[in-house]
Amino acid sequence: MKPADNKLNALSVRNLSVSVPARGGRVLAVDNISFDLPIGKKIGVVGESGSGKSLTALALMRLIKDPVQVDAGEIFMGGKDIMKLSAKEFLPYRGGEIAMIYQDPMSALNPIMRIGEQIIESIRVHSPMSKQAARKIAIDQLGSVGIPEPEKRIDSYPFEMSGGMLQRVVIAIALSGNAKVLIADEATTALDVSTQERVLTLIDKTATERGLSVLLITHDLGVAAQYADEILVMYAGRIVEHGQVQQVFSRSVHPYTRALLDSKCDYTLDVTKPIKSIAGQPPRPDNRPSGCVFAPRCDFAEPACSASIPLLSAHGDAMAACFRADELIFNQEVR
Amino acid sequence: MSTTSVVASLNNVTRTFVSKRGDVKALDEVSISLQQGKTLALVGESGSGKTTAARILLGLDQPDSGSVNILGSELGGLKHEQMRLLRKSIQVVQQDPYSQLNRRHCVERIIEGPLLAFNVGDKISRRDKVISLLKAVGLEEEHLRRRPHELSGGQCQRVAIARALALDPKIVVLDEAVSALDVSVRAQVLNLLRELRDELGLTYLFITHDLGVAHYLADEIAVMFRGRIVEQGDRKDVFIDSKHPYTVDLLKSVPLAVPPDEKRQNNMDVQTLPSPNPTDACTYRSRCTVGRDLAQCASDKLTFTKGSPTHLWMCHFPVGGK
Amino acid sequence: MTQDFEFLNRLGVINVAGLIKIAKVVKQRFSFSVSIILGILTACLAAPLLAPYDPYKIAAGLPFLGPSRAHLFGTDDLGRDLFSRVLYGGRITLLIAIAATVIALVLGTLWGVMAGIRRGWVDEFLMRTADSTMAIPQILFALVCISAVGASVISLPLVVGFLLSPTTARMARSAVVTELNEDYVVAATASGLTRNRLIMTEVMPNIAPQLLVQLSINAASAVMLEATLSFIGLGIQPPNASWGTLMLQGYAKIWNTSWFVFFPALAVTITILAFNSYGERIRVSLDSRKSSS
Repeated sequence: MKPADNKLNALSVRNLSVSVPARGGRVLAVDNISFDLPIGKKIGVVGESGSGKSLTALALMRLIKDPVQVDAGEIFMGGKDIMKLSAKEFLPYRGGEIAMIYQDPMSALNPIMRIGEQIIESIRVHSPMSKQAARKIAIDQLGSVGIPEPEKRIDSYPFEMSGGMLQRVVIAIALSGNAKVLIADEATTALDVSTQERVLTLIDKTATERGLSVLLITHDLGVAAQYADEILVMYAGRIVEHGQVQQVFSRSVHPYTRALLDSKCDYTLDVTKPIKSIAGQPPRPDNRPSGCVFAPRCDFAEPACSASIPLLSAHGDAMAACFRADELIFNQEVR
Repeated sequence: MSTTSVVASLNNVTRTFVSKRGDVKALDEVSISLQQGKTLALVGESGSGKTTAARILLGLDQPDSGSVNILGSELGGLKHEQMRLLRKSIQVVQQDPYSQLNRRHCVERIIEGPLLAFNVGDKISRRDKVISLLKAVGLEEEHLRRRPHELSGGQCQRVAIARALALDPKIVVLDEAVSALDVSVRAQVLNLLRELRDELGLTYLFITHDLGVAHYLADEIAVMFRGRIVEQGDRKDVFIDSKHPYTVDLLKSVPLAVPPDEKRQNNMDVQTLPSPNPTDACTYRSRCTVGRDLAQCASDKLTFTKGSPTHLWMCHFPVGGK
Repeated sequence: MTQDFEFLNRLGVINVAGLIKIAKVVKQRFSFSVSIILGILTACLAAPLLAPYDPYKIAAGLPFLGPSRAHLFGTDDLGRDLFSRVLYGGRITLLIAIAATVIALVLGTLWGVMAGIRRGWVDEFLMRTADSTMAIPQILFALVCISAVGASVISLPLVVGFLLSPTTARMARSAVVTELNEDYVVAATASGLTRNRLIMTEVMPNIAPQLLVQLSINAASAVMLEATLSFIGLGIQPPNASWGTLMLQGYAKIWNTSWFVFFPALAVTITILAFNSYGERIRVSLDSRKSSS
């Protein structure tokens, strides 16, 4: 992996590993992953349960708590390894340089505080100022995330607003610290399709306006395809493929990515045939196969695949962790 | 009409939930009919009334007006015991794989549950039935002694399906049954549901917010919005010849897992007008790009327009003209 | 050693998985507090065997003797051995306390479950009754009851049990209401289960752990109540003596011979602590299971 270059990248992760307790010791839920988030770009992190994508996000925010631990890794932001900072030194980063929004806006907001108070609180934590000044900024922020009549809405309580509105408020709060990196962890999963489109468009627009870099974590392949520039495919704690969105969705290299895309059920499918599903289920952290994690479920697996761990390496214009990637590219039909 | 018979129906059902913060009309004169061996998908977002419709069909809730009919019996007039017996014919699989199974019971006991409820057979014949159901959903005998928390989401959902089939029902209501599953597992379970339906001649009522899933499994799709069916038809009607602006909006909003076009059409950030009080006129008006400012949409009563034997919609200004 | 077990397992002689599960339960259940409880229970049950003297025998030794080898807890003003009296007294206290706890559990569970499944005005009525019962000062209530029927090994558990049942009722009701909102109950109803069977076979197993916690805490309160009632003379009367009665007798002589009161009081304290800490342990393990799963 190339060394971290903070002129090009908002975030650089190197050899991050996160472990969880299991019967007879600890196991890696995130296994030695490395990637760069270029400035101004959006990376879609795609994976199923047990892929480690959410833990990765928490690790980036340094929100990993006992009994889960970060075993190793460096995370570079603005030239510094934030993992080496003390808790106190890191405080201004969380919400300041790097912000996160989650799946359920209702639980992200304090139900007994007005939304205005929550935004103001967040603004004042990162840039000390008077309440009145913060209130003005808060109204602007609410307006910029598309909330109608922000001067009135600022005094509403969370229960008075719909899911889509709340998620916008959450985005406004997340961005109130002038973050450079935004992590959206399944941020639209709980929303209806039409609301989801609006919220994702909002994130898109805001990111472009502010030069924000986004890590879009989702299990929804469609969301990743339409709203990300690069795609990171995670499986069982490892990155199995990393490439530009055009490439991943038209000429994916890793067998898992291709199988995942084949198993997606959307309305373009041929209804007369069974959906091409992947046999078995994603392994739990304490049940990881040796060698290539996907080998037991892979149509192209050979005995050599279980002997050692394939590393993420370049195959054409993509990065994939597969021993047979080159010959598979040669053989596959173009989508 | 086709020669297949109607096995269950909701007829002009209205259900209003009364609360201190105002009444919510979950269903507004909704009629649904399920035909033997066919799958009807109710598609809609939260608040559309699809879950309420399912619950009413299952007899878990009563309509305020209108009637519910299962295999010829009107649910309203039934006594407790009669309703209970009718339950043998209509079962449910819910969304959350874990919470729909009793965490204190093992898989065998869970699947045996419905058989015990009706004192079917003896211990040995029940065990045989449980094992055959287990195999039918793709699980093994080793799973019998496991508890739900020891299984994966997909496995739990299979157990739930096995349980639903224990009494050999005619109708299965699937309430977001695959929504909580991983993509690859979802595909497996959808395949399973399809196989079982074809093999056993089941009738499905599939509740979902996912158009892709509805498209794959359903013969007929009803799109619901705020308590009303706004469009209904077969796959071609709804996905290709869509008439209602809401259906069109939904289809456009679904992100597909394909390389993005150069110019992505972003839906204009349409501000939602405050929702009008329930009236006979259109409830979609506040979000509709077509009718939001049109007087007719605000005032005129809506009725169904029938475009073809299969295709219905409820709109003054349908897409593509009347 | 595990390999030996594995071998036996494969032979079908023992089921290792089952044993491990039992061992886990035992490890949880046989904690320090449980050993204390069991120790006390056994000691008191075995009183006829363990007690060196007849607790009623006057002048078993010289009166007012302090703790010694011959008389572990000393002797009282009538020369009776206090160790034997504490052992025998424990039988009575624990008998009453356990009987009261069981009564509280049965009554409280029925009360709460009935309210939880009926809802509506039945629920309101039952819960307001529970609230009112809790509002009555316990000692005064006991006073009224016991003056009417007299204090005995029958009446005391009934009175104490009744006084402890409202808290169990409230807990049972809220547990039932929570469970009835769960998906598996919808599934069970749709499967054609009758309501009663639903409660018995589906819901009760899920609220059982919480009831166990309540049982333990009630046991502690029952011991406390019995001791209190006997101490103020409303409970077990001399020459029979429960721990509370012993404390009453000892109290009269407290300034000169403090050990009269000390030992029965110590017994009461340890027992209550043990029951409470056991209940707390189960509650904590329940909470941790809920949040981790």
